[in-house]
Amino acid sequence: MPMCPDLEILSAYFDDEIPAPWGREVAAHVATCERCRARLAELQETRSIMTEEDSQGWRAPMERVRRRILAHVPIGRQRASVWRRQVALPLPVAFLAAVLILTFGITLAVLATRTNMGYIRVTKAPAGGTEYQFAVPYDKVEALLKSMGGADATIESVMTIPKSVKLIPVGEPRMGKANEFPRKKP
Amino acid sequence: MPRVRGGIVPLLLALAVVHTNAQAQAPGSDTDPKEALQELLSKALTVTVSARVLPPDAQEETPVWNAESTKLTLPGRSIKVRLDGENVRIYLICTPYLQDNGEVLLVAQGQVWFTEPQDKENRYFSTFYSIPVSFGEKVLFFPLGLSDADAQQKNHFNIELEIKIVPYEKKQ
Repeated sequence: MPMCPDLEILSAYFDDEIPAPWGREVAAHVATCERCRARLAELQETRSIMTEEDSQGWRAPMERVRRRILAHVPIGRQRASVWRRQVALPLPVAFLAAVLILTFGITLAVLATRTNMGYIRVTKAPAGGTEYQFAVPYDKVEALLKSMGGADATIESVMTIPKSVKLIPVGEPRMGKANEFPRKKP
Repeated sequence: MPRVRGGIVPLLLALAVVHTNAQAQAPGSDTDPKEALQELLSKALTVTVSARVLPPDAQEETPVWNAESTKLTLPGRSIKVRLDGENVRIYLICTPYLQDNGEVLLVAQGQVWFTEPQDKENRYFSTFYSIPVSFGEKVLFFPLGLSDADAQQKNHFNIELEIKIVPYEKKQ
């Protein structure tokens, strides 16, 4: 009697995974070997148990879990856009919110156009510098400018050259330190 | 000699008055008006502009006409001097800035409007200068150019403006 195949080969034979020439050899051996037939019978019994447990013990709990998941996740429904969401407010609350927004806007507009917020702020920097911030009403600025005799923000002095002096340009205007223009001595 | 005097003291007093009013409007501000005025005065500058018309003769340094304008201003605030002649108008706009090293950066703009006597054609010059100077250092401006010997032979008058900046000193 030839030697019996090991359990792995028998398991592969049971699952019909051994190619034909070798499968036929195993089949011929199993037909004549009581011990191998008993092993095949054990494999068949194990498969039967697993099939029976799978159909009776696992299917029902898995189905319950699947239903719970589907109940919490809507299928085929997308969340609405932020711009399309609607918020329900009680009418008094909505009215109060509108009044607050309107008051805030009016206050900002008044502050932006208000001109009589005059102040002078002198700020001394830690390094020793001094910063002057001026903000005066428009009418006071006008008074200041008038006191300085200028229509704009500059001080203007007028000198009148005698008519007897005839001036003619002799070149381009020039400016520089006095030592850059030495006096011509005879 | 005409002498034009201008004062910044009214300006400073007016600013102090505005500041006093501002104290009532800005309760968070704790600056004393007198201190603010002293701060302004300590930064004030005296700008003297002297205009001279020199004769054609180079050997003669006595001006045929001169005028002087002294203005008090604050750093960054410009002063404007205007010279009106028969056929010329000259603007000199000076803005002094205090630098970190204690010197003054003089930013000056010169504008010259000139009418030719013969053809009545108007000419315009505009120039801009930025000159670092020390206190008391003289800066010269020749709005109609700097004449040479040829121009002097043509009996042309020369006009020059002298600018001098010194710190403001309160008179006792």
